[in-house]
Amino acid sequence: MTTRVLLADDHAVLRTGLRLLLEGQNEFEVVAEASTGSEALSLAEKLQPDLILLDLSMPGMDGMDVLPTMRKLVPSTKILILTMHDDSQYLRQALKHGASGYVLKKAADAELISAIRSVLRGEMYVHPSMTRVLLEDILPDAKSSRTDLTWASLSEREQEVLKMVALGHTSAEIAEQLNLSAKTVETYRARGMEKLGLRTRAALVKFVLQEGLMKTE
Amino acid sequence: MNMQRISQRIWDIVGGVSVRTKILGIVLGFIILMGLGVTIQARYALTATMNAQLEEQSVSAARDLAARAADPILLNDLLALHDLLKETIANNPNIRYAFIVDNRGQIIAHTFEGGFPLDLISFNSAQTGEHHHTALIQTDEGLVWDTAVPILDGKVGAARVGLSDASVRAAVSTLTAQLILTIVLVSMTGVLVAVFLTWILTRPIISLAQATQAVAKGSFSPRVPRWANDEIGDLADAFNAMTEELARTDELRREREFLRRQLLEKVISTQEDERRRIARELHDSTSQNLTSLIVGLRVMETNCAQCPSISKAADLREVASKTLDEVHDLSMRLRPRVLDDLGLSAALERLVSEWQARHKIPVDVAIQLGERLPGDVETAIYRIIQETLTNIARHAQAKSASILVERHGDMVRAIVEDDGIGFDSRANHSERHLGLLGMRERAELLHGSVTIESSLERGTSIFIEIPLRASLLAGEGLEVRS
Repeated sequence: MTTRVLLADDHAVLRTGLRLLLEGQNEFEVVAEASTGSEALSLAEKLQPDLILLDLSMPGMDGMDVLPTMRKLVPSTKILILTMHDDSQYLRQALKHGASGYVLKKAADAELISAIRSVLRGEMYVHPSMTRVLLEDILPDAKSSRTDLTWASLSEREQEVLKMVALGHTSAEIAEQLNLSAKTVETYRARGMEKLGLRTRAALVKFVLQEGLMKTE
Repeated sequence: MNMQRISQRIWDIVGGVSVRTKILGIVLGFIILMGLGVTIQARYALTATMNAQLEEQSVSAARDLAARAADPILLNDLLALHDLLKETIANNPNIRYAFIVDNRGQIIAHTFEGGFPLDLISFNSAQTGEHHHTALIQTDEGLVWDTAVPILDGKVGAARVGLSDASVRAAVSTLTAQLILTIVLVSMTGVLVAVFLTWILTRPIISLAQATQAVAKGSFSPRVPRWANDEIGDLADAFNAMTEELARTDELRREREFLRRQLLEKVISTQEDERRRIARELHDSTSQNLTSLIVGLRVMETNCAQCPSISKAADLREVASKTLDEVHDLSMRLRPRVLDDLGLSAALERLVSEWQARHKIPVDVAIQLGERLPGDVETAIYRIIQETLTNIARHAQAKSASILVERHGDMVRAIVEDDGIGFDSRANHSERHLGLLGMRERAELLHGSVTIESSLERGTSIFIEIPLRASLLAGEGLEVRS
């Protein structure tokens, strides 16, 4: 029994290459090719293929636009994203909208076949260079799990300075508002950050938001 | 040294008051000094003259009394003597007293009503053979000119007459009071005149000062009127000429600045468009072609495993794959697709993760933006942060960095910090300076600003602020003006 595949990609030469690649394996049959998102949508509904290879960027409605609708129209079809985009946000969005796998075009020659097989087995496939992104979403941030960070252990001045640092003020502004010298502000800031075990302003902002210290603002 | 300090103090006081006060001071000081001088001089002269007259009167009254008293003394006619004394006093209001002593020094007759003050006798006496003798006696009623004239060469006694200087004192104080009143009146007139004078003098100076302040604030429209045909009038003319020249130069500068900005905006937007176009081309067309090539080679390899030159196909595929990576990288650096497709926050995450991987410096990122920002703002912030990260990698020797992008109402604020060696932000490092200037220009085109805080060994913070509303309005403003 062969797997019926729909190819959706706006690049004709690539489609031909993919068709040859897939049909070289005897288990696959390319039943149709689409060059736009809307074409892919109507073909999918008509042919109900087992698998759709979907490019994310196509003219008109692109792959990302049609993905949610496609998921609803053909709920049992596996959708495998084949794209140039290696940004984590595309990956997150695609998976959220029902894609079963995410393959980068640069790895198409080596991984595509095994990716298709995994997806057909009901597994998820994500290009290895991008799995880290997903893990980071799941695993708690190593820094934020520290428990010895205590805001209360800071002096009043340190708290004042750090709040203003988190609000994005320059040292000069803080110095002026608190009637201190810029050097003193730097010192309070460095000492406060050290006590909290934080290294950067961005980390401080995250900490402050997490602890709900800015509610009065 | 001490003199210097004193003169400095005087200058502090004199220099510290207004021109009006100075002129008032000069006028008042002059009038008062003059008036006081005149008063003292007049008092002295009047007193001297009147005292001389008193002395003369005293002598003549005493001589008259002595001449007329000889007969009554010889006749021992006390009544006549009394009448004589009374008459003497009545004739001259200045005469305070008159009395007659006999040759033994006994009082024969006197004009004192409450008893004769005995020690008065000893204050004055005429020696035998003397024509008369006048003494000035200090009494509790003031000075008294006392003249003693011997009667019949002193054989029968002496006549004494005392003239009080009360009238002199009264006359002098009346004169003084009048003079002081005059001084006060003259001073008041002087003040009025001085106020008028100062007004005439300071009016053009004040209007010059106001106009100068206006020019300093950048308003070149005020002109200073030429009040008078004097040196200050010349100054006003020169000032007006200068202001006109400044206004012309400023207008020219503004025009150039406007053109420069427009040009810069054009250059930047053209550059971004061009980059976007090339990046897109590379991403959509070149990359796809390369992918097709790779897939095609792969198909060849599978279909023709026994073909003699098939090992070449794998090598070619390797080359194509490498080229694809490079093209991808190039496209990314030109202008990341995700900046247009997904926005600033995704593009920054992407930029940071690649930068971290390349330079092995951890970066904390906190981005809170919510919805998408206007395209030009996103591009500007992205480019400024990109430039900053390049600078950090090149110069900072940082151990960590931090990127913070937040939206506060209509303001987007981005802060990029590192904990590196920092630099003196005032010093002029040509290459780096140019980069910072570029960032600043970019932000200012959108009515934003870039603030840099850095000190040696303390790291560097770059604060970027761009208003959202202005960036929406800026385009319209340009259209209206051009």
